[in-house]
Amino acid sequence: MTTLLAAPHSVLEVLRGQRGRRPPTNRSAAAVLRTRLDEGLRRRIGAGHRETPLTIGPASLRARVPGGGSPSALVRAVLVTQILQLVAAGYLVEQPFDDAVGAWRAAGPQGELHSYFEALDAQERARLASDVTAHGFTLTHSLGTVPRSWSPRTAVRAHQRLADGDVVLRDLVDLMIGTTDAPLASLVLLDVTTGPLDEGAERVMRYHALVQTLRTCAVPLRTSIFSTGTGELWSTEVDDELLNRAADDVLALFAEESAP
Amino acid sequence: MSALTHYRLSNHVLDRLINDASNEPRQLTDDHRRSLSARLRAVGAVEHRRLDAWVVENAGRPSSPFHWSPSSARRVLAGGALRRRSARSCSTLDAVDEEIDDVLARAARAGHPGSLPAWLASCTPGGLAVVRAEAATWATHVDEVAASLRAPWAYAPSDAYYDVARARTTLRGRRDLIVSPNEGRVLIRVRPGAPGRSAGAGLRADLTIDALADPDGLASRLAVGVWPEAGVVLVVEGTMSDLRAGGRDLVRAAVALRSRAERSAA
Repeated sequence: MTTLLAAPHSVLEVLRGQRGRRPPTNRSAAAVLRTRLDEGLRRRIGAGHRETPLTIGPASLRARVPGGGSPSALVRAVLVTQILQLVAAGYLVEQPFDDAVGAWRAAGPQGELHSYFEALDAQERARLASDVTAHGFTLTHSLGTVPRSWSPRTAVRAHQRLADGDVVLRDLVDLMIGTTDAPLASLVLLDVTTGPLDEGAERVMRYHALVQTLRTCAVPLRTSIFSTGTGELWSTEVDDELLNRAADDVLALFAEESAP
Repeated sequence: MSALTHYRLSNHVLDRLINDASNEPRQLTDDHRRSLSARLRAVGAVEHRRLDAWVVENAGRPSSPFHWSPSSARRVLAGGALRRRSARSCSTLDAVDEEIDDVLARAARAGHPGSLPAWLASCTPGGLAVVRAEAATWATHVDEVAASLRAPWAYAPSDAYYDVARARTTLRGRRDLIVSPNEGRVLIRVRPGAPGRSAGAGLRADLTIDALADPDGLASRLAVGVWPEAGVVLVVEGTMSDLRAGGRDLVRAAVALRSRAERSAA
C-alpha cells in the first residue's frame, strides 16, 4: 500500500506508477471470483430466493463516521465530486463552491438532498461554501492535471447481479483512468471522500476493485482513495489476495445484513 | 419463435457471437412494409408520433416530459465525437470539445428552443464541463466495446430512421456500432444501467427499424445490446420471427401511446 500524506507528488503520479512494473492484464480472476461469490451467497440463502434482493454498495462497507451521513456532509460530498468531474474534464476551477453548484444544477438534481440544499439559509450556505472551498482546494492542488490521453472518466457506475439476482452489487467510481483493453494492466480507480481514511476506506477500495473486475472481466491495475479532508491518499495494486478479501467482505456483509 | 440470449461481457464474447451468427439473409419485403403501415394506420394518431426502442420498452408506463441534461445529451455528443475522432487522431476529450463547439456554433446560427444546441448554449461554463465529462465517459464505454472487436467495424453514421407511409409515424432505430463481418452486418447498441425485463423487445424494435430503413430491407444478422455498467450482453438474431415480433411490439407501443394520450385528454 502506498500512503501519501502531504507529499510533494501529485495524486496522478502515484496512480500512474512505474510503467515498466505493470503486470499482464489478468482476465481469469473474474470467473473464479464470481463462482466463489455465487456459491458462498447461495449457501447462505439456501434453496429458495429472497423476497427482495439485497443491494450492497460502497456505503454499506464504509465505517460509520459520526455526522458522516448528515445532509450537510452528503451535500458537501456531492459538491466535491462535482469539482473532481470538472477537473477531469479539463475545467479550471477558480470558484470551487460556485463552480460545483453550477455543475450540480446542470445535472438537474432532484430529491431530498437538493431540497435540503436549496432551503439552506445564508449563514448555512456560507458555512457550506467555505467547507467545499477548502475541500476543493485540497483536491485540485493534490490531484494535478489529468492528461487527456489517459481516457479519464468520472462517476462510472457498475451493477452486478449475484446468486441469480438475490444480491446486487452497485458501485460508483469517482474517477477511472486507463483502459481494460490492453495487454498490460492499466486501469486505475480513484475514490474521493471528504472524510478521514480508515478501515472502511480500505474495504471500499477493495470493493471497487472487485466490482470492476466482475464488470469488465479484467483486473484493474490499482485502486485508490483520496481524502479531501486530510489530503491523504491510499493506493494499492490489485492482486488475487485483495480481490479475495473483497469477496470475503461482501460475504460477511451479506451474513450480517441477512442475520435474523 | 424469437429468442433473446444473455451473455457476460467477457473478452472476445462479441467476436464469438458474430462468428457464430447465421449467414442466411433475411429481408423485409414491400408486403411487410405495407402490412406494418396498415396496422399503424389502424391505430390512428392525432399528431405525428415517433416510435423507438425506448417507447417500446416503456409502453403504457407514465413518463415525464423529455428535457436535456448531461446524461440525456451524452450519447449524441459522444457519437459525434467518436466519428470525429475516427477521421483524425486526437484524444476523446479533444473530440468531445470539438463536437460541443460545433453544436454551440449551430446554436449561434439557429438554436431552436428545446433543441440540444439551444440547451448547450444556456449552460454555464461549469455545466458545460459536466456535459463534456459525461460525454467523454460515455464515449470511452463505446470505445471499449469497439476495441474488443476483431471484425471490421465503424461508428454508426446516424441512427436509422423510417417514415411509415400514411401512418403519421416515424420510427427511430438506435445503433452505435456497425460490424461488417464477411457477410451482412451486425448492429451494436451500448446502453446505460442494467437491462430490464423489456430490453429484448427494445432490441427487436431496433433490429426491425434498421431493416426497414435499409433500402433493400435486409436485416442485420444480429442486434446486440451491450450494458457496460452491468457487464451484460443481450443478443437478438435477425430472424424473420424476431423481425415480426419487433413489428408487433412497435404497433403495441403505438396503441399504448394513443391510450395514454386519450387518458390525459379525458
